[in-house]
Amino acid sequence: MKVSLKWLSDYVEVPQDIKEFCDRLDLTGTGVEGVERTGDVFDGVVVGHVLTCVDHPDSDHMHVTTVDVGAEEPVQIVCGAPNIAAGIKVPVATIGAVLPGDFKIKKSKLRGVTSCGMCCSQRELGMGNEHDGIWVLPDDAPTGQPIADYLKMSDTVLDLEITPNRPDCLSMVGMAREVGAMYQEPYTSPLAEMAGKLELNKDAAALDSEVSVSIADETRCSRYTARVIRGCKVGPSPDWMVERLAAIGQRSINNIVDVTNYILFLFGQPLHAFDLDKLKNAEGKANIVVRAAEEGEKLTTLDGEERVLTSDMTVIATPDQGAVALAGVMGGLATEVTEETTDVLLETATFEAGRTSRTSRNLGLISESSMRYERGVDDHGIEERSAAAAALIAAVSGGTVSYAEGNENGIIDVWPVKSEEFHLQFRIDRFNGMMGAQIPREFIVDILGRLGCKVEDGEAENVLEVTAPTFRPDLPREIDLYEEVLRLYGMDRIEPTLPGGRGRFGVRTEAQRTLDVVNDTMRASGLNETMTYSFADPHELEQLRMSTEGMGVPVELLNPLNAEQSVMRQSIIPGLMRSVAYNQSRGVHNVQLYETGVVFFGAEGHKKPKERQRLAAVMAGGMGDDAWNRKTVAFDFFDGKGVIENLIRELAIPKPRFKALSAEEAPHLQPGRAAQVLSGGTVLGWVGEIHPMAAEAFEAQAPIVAFELDLDALIKAARPARDYVDVPVFPAVTMDVAFVVDEEVTHEKLSRCISSAGGKLLASAQLFDVYRDEKRVGAGKKSMAYALEYRAADRTLTTEEVDKQHARLIKKVCGATGAEVRG
Amino acid sequence: MGACAGLPDSINQGGTARALLVLGFTKTRRALFYVLGTLSLGGVPAEVEERLQGMSVIDDIKSLHADTLSAIGKVPNTDALEKIRVEVVGKSGTLTGYLRAMGQVAKEHRAEVGKTVNAARNEIEAALEAKKRELAHAELEARMEADAIDITLPGRSQQMGTRHLINAISDEISEIFLGLGYTVATGPEVETDWYNFTALNAPADHPSRSMQDTFYVRDLSGEQSNVRGESDVLLRTQTSGVQVHVMEDQDLPIYIIAPGKVYRRDVADPSHLPQFTQCEGLVVDKNITFGDLKGTLEYFCKQMFGPDRKTRFRAHFFPFTEPSAEADVSCGVCGGTGHLHDGERCRMCKGTGWLEILGCGMVDPNVLRMSGIDPEVYSGFAFGVGVERVACLKYNVPDLRMLLEGDMRFLRQF
Repeated sequence: MKVSLKWLSDYVEVPQDIKEFCDRLDLTGTGVEGVERTGDVFDGVVVGHVLTCVDHPDSDHMHVTTVDVGAEEPVQIVCGAPNIAAGIKVPVATIGAVLPGDFKIKKSKLRGVTSCGMCCSQRELGMGNEHDGIWVLPDDAPTGQPIADYLKMSDTVLDLEITPNRPDCLSMVGMAREVGAMYQEPYTSPLAEMAGKLELNKDAAALDSEVSVSIADETRCSRYTARVIRGCKVGPSPDWMVERLAAIGQRSINNIVDVTNYILFLFGQPLHAFDLDKLKNAEGKANIVVRAAEEGEKLTTLDGEERVLTSDMTVIATPDQGAVALAGVMGGLATEVTEETTDVLLETATFEAGRTSRTSRNLGLISESSMRYERGVDDHGIEERSAAAAALIAAVSGGTVSYAEGNENGIIDVWPVKSEEFHLQFRIDRFNGMMGAQIPREFIVDILGRLGCKVEDGEAENVLEVTAPTFRPDLPREIDLYEEVLRLYGMDRIEPTLPGGRGRFGVRTEAQRTLDVVNDTMRASGLNETMTYSFADPHELEQLRMSTEGMGVPVELLNPLNAEQSVMRQSIIPGLMRSVAYNQSRGVHNVQLYETGVVFFGAEGHKKPKERQRLAAVMAGGMGDDAWNRKTVAFDFFDGKGVIENLIRELAIPKPRFKALSAEEAPHLQPGRAAQVLSGGTVLGWVGEIHPMAAEAFEAQAPIVAFELDLDALIKAARPARDYVDVPVFPAVTMDVAFVVDEEVTHEKLSRCISSAGGKLLASAQLFDVYRDEKRVGAGKKSMAYALEYRAADRTLTTEEVDKQHARLIKKVCGATGAEVRG
Repeated sequence: MGACAGLPDSINQGGTARALLVLGFTKTRRALFYVLGTLSLGGVPAEVEERLQGMSVIDDIKSLHADTLSAIGKVPNTDALEKIRVEVVGKSGTLTGYLRAMGQVAKEHRAEVGKTVNAARNEIEAALEAKKRELAHAELEARMEADAIDITLPGRSQQMGTRHLINAISDEISEIFLGLGYTVATGPEVETDWYNFTALNAPADHPSRSMQDTFYVRDLSGEQSNVRGESDVLLRTQTSGVQVHVMEDQDLPIYIIAPGKVYRRDVADPSHLPQFTQCEGLVVDKNITFGDLKGTLEYFCKQMFGPDRKTRFRAHFFPFTEPSAEADVSCGVCGGTGHLHDGERCRMCKGTGWLEILGCGMVDPNVLRMSGIDPEVYSGFAFGVGVERVACLKYNVPDLRMLLEGDMRFLRQF
């Protein structure tokens, strides 16, 4: 909300030091979002006193003057105006001032005579068209005073962030009360004086003879009042009101509408002015009903939009015309005040906050009025605010306020539900205990009083009985009063301490520690952690060729920012693929990324989706650039698998297994380079090379190695504690053997045969070479070379023992796999 | 061959020549040593036998002793030294020959000769050992000199991966609070209205809800919202919902920190992201004061930003805390003055001297009560730190979108 300090200072003393004032506002809960000074255009223009004035020696119309501008020495100014004379007071633009039209005042020579400034006309100051001569100021203008101050043109407008709990601060008077409490200074409200100016016209028709009001649903409107101002002349507003509204960014519309806006900003009371004639029925009566809108009912609002209403919305209606205004949000176009209007019906009411908020959100229509109603407008005091508004309308438009037969104050007032004041206890000791402070009772009593509370001593010691005002709906509880006192006392004055609670330990859970191991292992494997959007494109899995079987329904956003981010991701891989493409398109070809994060799976009939944690990685290019002492090997399937093997080792995943995936099982992966990762019977995820066509769809260059694991399953499978195994005491005998086998025979199969054939003595079998050569090994064959380590735990093996076991192993393996031993 | 430098090649051949190598030092004893050197191979010639019988054999041994020591002194490398060892004290070495021929020494001289031979042997072996060590040292030195490298060449390292900046900061925050006895909690990213708003004292249509622009999710249970385009299911706008889960699930007292992703409907630009990270903190215990909140967060700010940084608390409004505040940390660029040394306004803090970093407050009694905690017995405080905000303040990240692009050149900086 914009607050003009010039306006505000009518009701409370505003500190001179603006920066200090803004800091104090900030610290007490009113954020200052902007500070704008008006009157800056007159910087350097001051009231000058012309001391001497003689003719210019080389000119027939110019004069040479000396002018006191409040500086130590008078300045010499050459002036061409005919009305310049010694002794008068004039506005002087001193050196450095910039006049409208970007006219900068410099020291200059006019026909050989130095001039250090300029005496100004009204037009030169951009303040009218008077250009016949110098603007002669009254003799009592203080010499040297900045002209903006002298003309009371300087103002500072603060843009304040009023938090949603403070409807009372959405007005000048409310801010004056707040500032008064901040500085423990008095403030005044002009309400009584303004309302006191109300004069009722007993000669014209009575208000209640032409207007009736009824509230059909009192949960929607707790108070509705109407007044009529007759014989108004709709036209421009007086300058002072235009200026005040302009200062806070409000354009002047006409005198009637301007008064409603002025009262809104002054007291926080939204008003609406109807053209009375347009509300009247054939009998000349305006029968106002506050009711729920009918479903589908239409109303064209002041902004020219035709709105289709729902029954949740509240309207002001007449039986003949239907809805004429959207309660608390915006008036209707058909009944608005125009130049032709003479009789005005002034609505001053309180509408229910929640419905106003919903109406405003449903229609995307936020107005100064709806913003106040949804925060709460006090139903008390409406009569006075209405009186002040009516009196002002009468004053600025030449109209008269109708009297009422049934009400001596000239108002129709329907007030079915009165809000109650909150009666609260303020336990001073509890307050100080909770704040960790010793705030004196006198301060508490004083501050609460300044905020509008009634404060009395309670029966118990150190307990105050507090009645919170109805304009503070945010103070229904004792704790709310605590906040008021604390913020105005100053949070900075509270001594910082640390909680003294005993017996607590900051420990990570086992799952959290396991996650740390996962992250450490990924980084130790050379992968860089990244973070991508949880939002996804609904077509991205299709693009990736990934099967969506078993994924359920994508979680759909009702209000996405764009179509590409309209669902929640079901896989991390598409986001990572985009990052690969992002890097590659910028000439970065070695990409090693991983991410842990949540993926989302919805299911019909279930409110909330399943959230699963995933661990995903992509690797493209190599682990780095070629170095002088090391060649970079391009990533392939085994780099991805290697990372997973590291994880399996670090997490001690039991019974790990890699199972080949077919093209049908993993269409997003290159056939023949795809595997499922399992721990026993639990599927942990997959690893493989992204299908080249899928890579292309993401504008990324294949080969891209990737994997995606179910992090929850991985963490669950992890074995944090491991068993100790004896370190071998007796030496091992290592025998190398190369088996020539058919291509179909996998390492897994061969090594399983070796393990089972090796018996107890075979400690390990390490594959160290895979060799293919049509001539030497044969077509469709490969040579798999293993280093076999034989060892007994309790003795040194003899050569005979090893030879015997080795021969048996070879025989068994060859028999089982059709292998031949390569000589 | 280099090991035998200084000697003619022709004599450096075979066992005979080996003996000559030693004999070569004194012409006069050539014949004798020749014979001694080959004693083991056969009988002893008569003239040698004769010298062995007399006392002159002692002179021969002494002479051999002296010559050998002198030879050892001049030996250029370990190979040549080994050669001397073999030829003099080896199995068929010259000196060994005397020992073997002791039987032929006249009885009356035997003790004397034996003593001389043994003394010579001991000294020669000691000299050999000393020389061996000396040579080994010299050779090691030489080898090391030859092996010197340009140590400015890059090393052979394996690439280490990096932690994402945001998670690194989340870790840092968690560590600080773990040290204060907090545990780490988490919660779901898709929440119901209850956990994100209602249980946090922001009932339906409460204006505080408009403080955050919410992403709504299609409610697959089929329920409809009162407001078009809204829903009971949403992406959490704050990690504060974790507070409610924790108060429902955990025993008192509660000291937790909850880092996690949150979502607000802001278009991505250099200073906004629709998805970002918060770290929520919650304490519920007996006798928790606003001073405790201040002390805890001041400690946090000093740990996070440095011991010289100040904090200040500005009153604010959050539905789930009462009283509520926003905390600022003094600007690290201008030292909290708002302007730089040249008088220019500090751009980091926009001249205010302060940087906003978190929201906080005492847990609202309604929130406690809704979670079944008696606010007359327990009190608590809560806070939420924007992790991206901390990242910007600590690392001057100019554009938040970089955090989600996965640019390797960005990620590998941290």
